[in-house]
Amino acid sequence: MNAPFFKYALFGDEMSLVVAFVIGIGFGFFLERAGFGNARLLAAQFYFRDLRVLKVMFTAIITAMVGAYLLGRLGLLDLSLVYLTPTFLVPQIAGGLILGAGFIIGGYCPGTSCVSAATGRIDGMVYLAGMIGGLLGFAEVYPSIERFTKITAMGQITLARQFHLSYGFLVFAVVLMAFGAFVMAELAEKFIGGKEPGPGALLEPVRTFTPVRRFAVVLTGLGVVALFAGSPYRSALAQVDTKQLALDALRAADQVTADQLADWLVEGRNDYLLVDVRDAQSFAAYHIPGAVNLPLSGLNHDFAQRNERVVFYSDNAIHTAQAWFLIRSLGFPSVYILAGGLETWQEAVLYPRAPAAGAAPKDQIDFAKRMAVAKFFGGSARGATSEVANPVAPVLPKLAPPSPTAPAPDNAQPAKKKKKEGC
Amino acid sequence: MNPYWAGFGLGLVLLASFVIMGRGLGASGAFTTAVATTVHAIAPAHAEGNAFYAEYLGDGATSPLKDWLVFEVLGVFLGGFLSGALANRLKFTIEKGPRITNPRRLLLAAIGGALMGIGAKLALGCTSGQALTGGALLNLGSWAFMMCVFGGAYGLAWFLRRAWL
Amino acid sequence: MTEFTLYRHNPLLDPAVHVWGWEIPVYLFLGGLVAGLMIIAGVRLLIMRPTARQALVCCTVGPLIGLVLLSAGMFALFLDLSHKFYVWRLYLAFEPTSPMSWGAWILLFVYPALLANALTHLPEAIPALAKRVPVLVTISDYILARPRIVVGIGLANMAIGVALGIYTGVLLGAMGARPLWNSAVLGPLFLFSGLSTAAALLHGILVLTTPDDERPQFADFLLSMVARWSQARPLDTRIAPTLAQADNSFLTIELGLLGFLLIGHLTSTAVHQQAAGLLLTGPYAAVFWVFVVGLGILVPLVIQHLELLHRIRHTIAPSLLVLSGGLVLRFVLVAAGQASHWATALP
Repeated sequence: MNAPFFKYALFGDEMSLVVAFVIGIGFGFFLERAGFGNARLLAAQFYFRDLRVLKVMFTAIITAMVGAYLLGRLGLLDLSLVYLTPTFLVPQIAGGLILGAGFIIGGYCPGTSCVSAATGRIDGMVYLAGMIGGLLGFAEVYPSIERFTKITAMGQITLARQFHLSYGFLVFAVVLMAFGAFVMAELAEKFIGGKEPGPGALLEPVRTFTPVRRFAVVLTGLGVVALFAGSPYRSALAQVDTKQLALDALRAADQVTADQLADWLVEGRNDYLLVDVRDAQSFAAYHIPGAVNLPLSGLNHDFAQRNERVVFYSDNAIHTAQAWFLIRSLGFPSVYILAGGLETWQEAVLYPRAPAAGAAPKDQIDFAKRMAVAKFFGGSARGATSEVANPVAPVLPKLAPPSPTAPAPDNAQPAKKKKKEGC
Repeated sequence: MNPYWAGFGLGLVLLASFVIMGRGLGASGAFTTAVATTVHAIAPAHAEGNAFYAEYLGDGATSPLKDWLVFEVLGVFLGGFLSGALANRLKFTIEKGPRITNPRRLLLAAIGGALMGIGAKLALGCTSGQALTGGALLNLGSWAFMMCVFGGAYGLAWFLRRAWL
Repeated sequence: MTEFTLYRHNPLLDPAVHVWGWEIPVYLFLGGLVAGLMIIAGVRLLIMRPTARQALVCCTVGPLIGLVLLSAGMFALFLDLSHKFYVWRLYLAFEPTSPMSWGAWILLFVYPALLANALTHLPEAIPALAKRVPVLVTISDYILARPRIVVGIGLANMAIGVALGIYTGVLLGAMGARPLWNSAVLGPLFLFSGLSTAAALLHGILVLTTPDDERPQFADFLLSMVARWSQARPLDTRIAPTLAQADNSFLTIELGLLGFLLIGHLTSTAVHQQAAGLLLTGPYAAVFWVFVVGLGILVPLVIQHLELLHRIRHTIAPSLLVLSGGLVLRFVLVAAGQASHWATALP
């Protein structure tokens, strides 16, 4: 199983929106079930009358945390592909304080105001309108505060990495802390809010092993497992399945032909990463449009997302093969080699050879297409007899600024998506 | 519903989002996209010149409203409605404390919403996108953010007791 | 028709070909909705005792709204015409092989049929109007005293409604150059979609006018204003569950027909498979699955089912969802249809 499914292209962008809708239904359902459509219940949190917000939020956090941890540890979920919002510490602290103020003044947060509006709460609708006003205002002043929003950038970083603690230990600590907080919360409800622990509370005054207590014990147990199980992130050095590698190499399933790659480039596909493993000098002289330069020595486990399709090429078949093996052994599942390397690219794509005069019509049509492709990449066709007439090997086109007449090779640069992934 | 079971359900939804999509839940981003799209429809040049809007408008190949969070929030509305209908909680009313008038409560709601919009964009996420999702992934910034949300709210709670108690 | 004309007439190949904007889907939606209102009105008129006098949502309110909506739809269609001043020419001839001609003539009969149905029980529904225009009472008395006329009006409404509903689909199906529309299912699909939106609309109106305890509060103010103005008697709210039930049946049939449409395309030629792919996984998939199938059909089915089981209160939510789902269905089919073309199958 390769999870996250979307990142391994199990379904496309369109289907992801359908998934979003279904997940949203679940999210909204449980938010409403938790009583979060009611501002009074939410605000009661901050007067110790009903600490529902804390209980729901932390139960959700530890459930998802332990689940993600276990799936990651078992190798079912690649946690490095789960999007982690980058940390900007100071803006986030400021934002948190403002958001907290908004929470107690308005009584909702964005998600809960949606369910409150959906169940007919007029204050929830007004709150949403206010939020849209706030967003508009923020957007208008954004250019002048943009620098502030980008200070103390720390990148995508977890607590474990920042404090050099084991991830498993943190999972255990958070679970323990959460249950401690729940017990404290129930005590606070009892002594400050005057609410006796009812059925389903952890401190329910019965001696039986209630379902909630059983749930707490199971989660704590899983936390103890986490304590000893180590990091859920796939280790950089995955085990090499030599047999699988050999089979892939034998079937040539790991090769992309020059024509195929040319088609991808012409179509403007952006679901792969083209890597040139030659040195920077050769790269500067000529490279296939859209390629990035990464000499063999620069390959390591975080040069690309692990779900990325990677295509290697070089003018040295051995280097390409070595790069392929290196990256395969780092646990990247889809790594390809440009068959024949730059030489074939040049022969087949840039300077295709015209068929002989009496060739079959199919070859003629084929050649017309090749000619168009060659022109797209700034090359040209060779005559059928060029071997005799033109003994000089065709030179690679220079990387000149695109002239208005010839289609610029830069057209073929894969268009990367610009939309952001976070909240 | 018992808050622990509601939280458990919420956690499973979040986990499903991790496993299926490789991302967490969110809410405020959908509204930002909607705002950016609206501004872009009214004043295209203004929206494209603003780095904040431009980030939410995408490359123009598809409609910016065809966004993961937009569809997710659509589902949130529906899920909330279904749950409220099944529990017979559908009612056009204003939730407020007994000592505050309706107009004041609505004014406070609007102010709170505006603050929430500003805070959520400053912090790159709201309680769902940051605290819940980032919390479960042990994200450093999310935990700092979460503590500050509780801190900010508890700090102001005493001044707003007339609104709620 | 030859192959050649089939694969031209496409905005992707001939940029000069006019692309349909919002007008056509809106017209198709309103046409279908009016067709549904007519059929429901006709059926209701036939199954009740002819002499009973009642303020009826199906036979009075529905047709009156239908008249307004049809006029709006016709206006949208008119906006889309290139030669606006030659509309009258459609009525100089009848061309049996042209759906346009059929449509023009059907539309001509819709108005009197709807009007007759509305007039039959009008004095009960809007007493204020009847008091000011006494001739309405005379007409109503005249019709109700003659059962044959009542039956005639009912049958005419049903027949014209079915014709109108199917025509809105056939109109698209007749365009050979768009593979997505090459399906005989399109006619029934639009007919049943129209029926479901009509039933939802009437159900929504009933929910808004039910007595206090059953009604969401926000509607109180609005409705009391309207009620005071028209001095209306309460509508026949007892029919609300029947309408919800009917709506569920229509939605189920619509879902089935949508399935048939897609299965038909998927088992057909490569171009048809590609055309169906536009909706199933292509650029229209998200809108199709979420707004048409999810919010437009499945969710209202569930909500109305729960309402019928008395698990939840009747709300206007399902009717709003069905109405918007019907509208989006037209938009998606028109947009995806125009994006589908024969040229993709050529090398």
